[in-house]
Amino acid sequence: MVRKPLTSRVRSASPRSMLRNLARRAAVALATLLVVSALIFAMLRLLPAYPAATSLPANATRHEIAAVRHAMGLDHPWPVQYAAWLGGLVHGDFGQSLHRHRPVARLLRNALPATIELTGSAMVIALVLGVGGGLLLFALRGRRAETALDMVATLGMSLPAFVWGLLFIVVFGVTLNLLPFAGRLAPDLPQPPGAGFLLLDSLRAGRLDIFWSALRHLVMPAFALGIAFAPPIARMLHTSLLRTWEQDYIRQARLRGLSETRLLFAHALRNAAAPSLIVAVRHLGFLLGGSLVVEVIFGDPGIGSLMVGALRHADLPVIEAVGLTYCVMVLVIKALADGLALLLDPRLRRS
Amino acid sequence: MSLLMIRDLTVTAPTGQRGDADRVRVLRGISLSLDRGMVLGVVGESGAGKSLLGRVIAGQLPPGFAMAAGRVDFSRRNILALTPGARRAMLGREIAFIPQDPRAALNPVRTIFSQLREHFAHLGLPRHQHRARAIEVLADVQLPDPADLLGRFPHQLSAGMCQRVLIAMAFASRPLLLVADEPAAALDAAAQRQTLELIAAQRRRAGTAVLFITHDLRRVAGFCDRLAVLYAGAVVEEGAAAAVMSRPLHPYTRALELATPSLATRRGLVVLPGHQPGLAALGRASGCRFAPRCPVRSAGCAEREIPLIGDDRRVACQYPERTSRIAPAPPPPPYRVGSGEVLLQVDGLGRRLRAGGVLRGRVTAVLEDVSFKLREGEFLGIVGESGSGKSTLARLIVGLDRPTTGRIALAGADVTKGDGAARRIRLANLQMVFPDPDSALNPRRRIGSIVAQALEAARRPAVEREAVAADLMRAMGLDPALVARLPGQLSRGQRQRVSIARALAARPRLLVADDVVSGLDVSTQAQLLALLARLRASGIALVFISHDLAVVRHLCDRVIVMQQGRIVEAGETERVFTDPQAEHTRALLAAAPPDIGPPATTLLAIPPPAG
Repeated sequence: MVRKPLTSRVRSASPRSMLRNLARRAAVALATLLVVSALIFAMLRLLPAYPAATSLPANATRHEIAAVRHAMGLDHPWPVQYAAWLGGLVHGDFGQSLHRHRPVARLLRNALPATIELTGSAMVIALVLGVGGGLLLFALRGRRAETALDMVATLGMSLPAFVWGLLFIVVFGVTLNLLPFAGRLAPDLPQPPGAGFLLLDSLRAGRLDIFWSALRHLVMPAFALGIAFAPPIARMLHTSLLRTWEQDYIRQARLRGLSETRLLFAHALRNAAAPSLIVAVRHLGFLLGGSLVVEVIFGDPGIGSLMVGALRHADLPVIEAVGLTYCVMVLVIKALADGLALLLDPRLRRS
Repeated sequence: MSLLMIRDLTVTAPTGQRGDADRVRVLRGISLSLDRGMVLGVVGESGAGKSLLGRVIAGQLPPGFAMAAGRVDFSRRNILALTPGARRAMLGREIAFIPQDPRAALNPVRTIFSQLREHFAHLGLPRHQHRARAIEVLADVQLPDPADLLGRFPHQLSAGMCQRVLIAMAFASRPLLLVADEPAAALDAAAQRQTLELIAAQRRRAGTAVLFITHDLRRVAGFCDRLAVLYAGAVVEEGAAAAVMSRPLHPYTRALELATPSLATRRGLVVLPGHQPGLAALGRASGCRFAPRCPVRSAGCAEREIPLIGDDRRVACQYPERTSRIAPAPPPPPYRVGSGEVLLQVDGLGRRLRAGGVLRGRVTAVLEDVSFKLREGEFLGIVGESGSGKSTLARLIVGLDRPTTGRIALAGADVTKGDGAARRIRLANLQMVFPDPDSALNPRRRIGSIVAQALEAARRPAVEREAVAADLMRAMGLDPALVARLPGQLSRGQRQRVSIARALAARPRLLVADDVVSGLDVSTQAQLLALLARLRASGIALVFISHDLAVVRHLCDRVIVMQQGRIVEAGETERVFTDPQAEHTRALLAAAPPDIGPPATTLLAIPPPAG
């Protein structure tokens, strides 16, 4: 009788290999950042924009122009400029805004919370609608309602965020006069102390009136931004649930007498979630891009608005810093999604 | 009163041809009973409806299938009339199931413990006892270090270990009935045998009755009290296992037995014409459904349905006395150990794989110092357990992988390096047939264009390609009209033949076949083996990789036994099987399923039917 040592086939992911995996991912992220920073830097130097010109009167002399260019550091060769910029970045110094004459870092710090609040809530909306929609599509499988819901999803997906935004403003803001559509807070309310996350700061300050106002201001932009990203998540979840439903382990669990609800939530959903998550992340990059337009439409003072203002004045340090910030946000989201995928699917934990 | 009583069970399914109106009976008037603590084997080829039987018992018919008649009683309850809640309470507790593919039957994202405790919760075991009970049931199925196993995920276990976990789960409630649907089909010989022994031991302890569904008569032989043989949705023969095995009454049972290669001797295989009717053909069938393939049929057989008659021994045949007249096939031509030109020569072949990082990784040898010669027209069998290096060797020979050490010579030329010249020599001389015909054929190409693919590369005109494709289809026993079909429209056996036809289109001198008959039904396998044997006449050489020793004994002239990447024994087939030298060869032979029926020699004494 042949007996194989059964334990020889057992594989495990050691903590060391997990650490090595993490280190590799961090290195890739850093390299991405470096490449993006170089691209942004090079692109802006190639544009026919003359930042020095915007801060000088029309009759400035050649000498004055040279002095300003020198003060801005624009008279050095590109690689030197780039190195100086990078050196500043490492110390948290993003330079000085050419137009607003303030440190870029402070501008960013003031604008970032608005953007994070907006994109964060848009993401939550997209995920809730997407997962709910996916589950609903799955529950309706094979019925006529499935087709109808799928058509609704297609509609939701085919309108870009700014169209949703304008539609909401016209319907809920202007016609029905239900919701405010400019800024983050009613003008008569003070900004609560804190980092600038209005929802959190107001709660911490115990000001429910501010919280309510901030929430009402947030509803329309967040939905405008998030709504288009729910259908792809719903569809992916739907198809991967259908595929998972055919797997042997679902059938085997059913043969052990488990209920259909338990099969769906305890067995199928987690297996089907991983591919949906990948789709969600792929779309989040677009979501960040969309936040720029939505902020402008709803007059949100986030980094999108900051970016648009900077572009108008060829404010190179601000443009560079905001561009890089977008990149960091995408990378952070991607890292979170990777972590979540590892949590969901142990098979990925092998390096 | 029996524990399980199936009476006149008829299940219908739509043929998909004319909507819902056109339904065929995929199970027809099945009557079976199973007493407490007994084992009933249900034997049949794929499509016979044997797995459907398990699904009826679970109350989970595939979409579109419907119960048309009959009743199923389980411990005095009509289980088809149960409410969903009552059925769920019964499943997993009184009736347990063991699946075909153990690795796919465990949820990949949940630990073994979380799946066990979910089952314990279903059984009503209090939470604080879960861990102790889990360790207990895993120890019962002889899993080493159960406490450590609890935190593991299914992908970290071998298929055999997964099956043990599932067996542990199935017996946790000491069920009254176990439905085991091909529980060992996905495992290699040794694990198969261990799994079956484990089920046998567990069921004796728990007093569980077993409904054992399988396509392999040899596997159930020593395990079952009673046997039922299914053909095209109906029971054709039923009786005490020993009686059915030693003296089959239905021609189909007899044909199955005679189509199974023997481990003890080399004998010819009876090849039945045609195949079991599929869904569409079932609708058209009238009378005895086996009649078109039956070697001893009469004109009247196709006219009316033959009921299953008899008391303790039942058979659905009008002329059971004729069955014993079905003669074994004439013995195959003797082995020939070629004296011809050496076609393939392998010297000191080795393949090492690096696992882990570049700096600290370990190097494992998957193949070590393998040498052999293959002469023109010789059939060489390579056997070993999974992981013994068989498939690696095949990949090296055909050039899908490069050896780390050693040398491969094909038709006198060195092809070790795998450069352009080597590739041309390989293309001119050798072809490979892959183990899985489902993934080896491009699902979007027509059969005709798949078969003639090699000629396409040689830029032969379309007319010639079509003619060659038709010829090859005929040679493979396939209807040339199938050239217009897509692979998905063919049966598995047909697809495997298409795969072989494609390899032959290039007129190779050497064919490398990796595991091409495993997973096929006995009669399909016999057809395929006959086709391969016929290739001998053309002088082609064959490297035949398999873990089924009886098949290798039947087909191959010489055999190589591999273990952990090394050759442990090599020699002429007769010698290796009758006088094995290596301990591992003896172990493999011991683990192989035993032959069925009485020795072929006594059967030869019965004269063939006159006329």
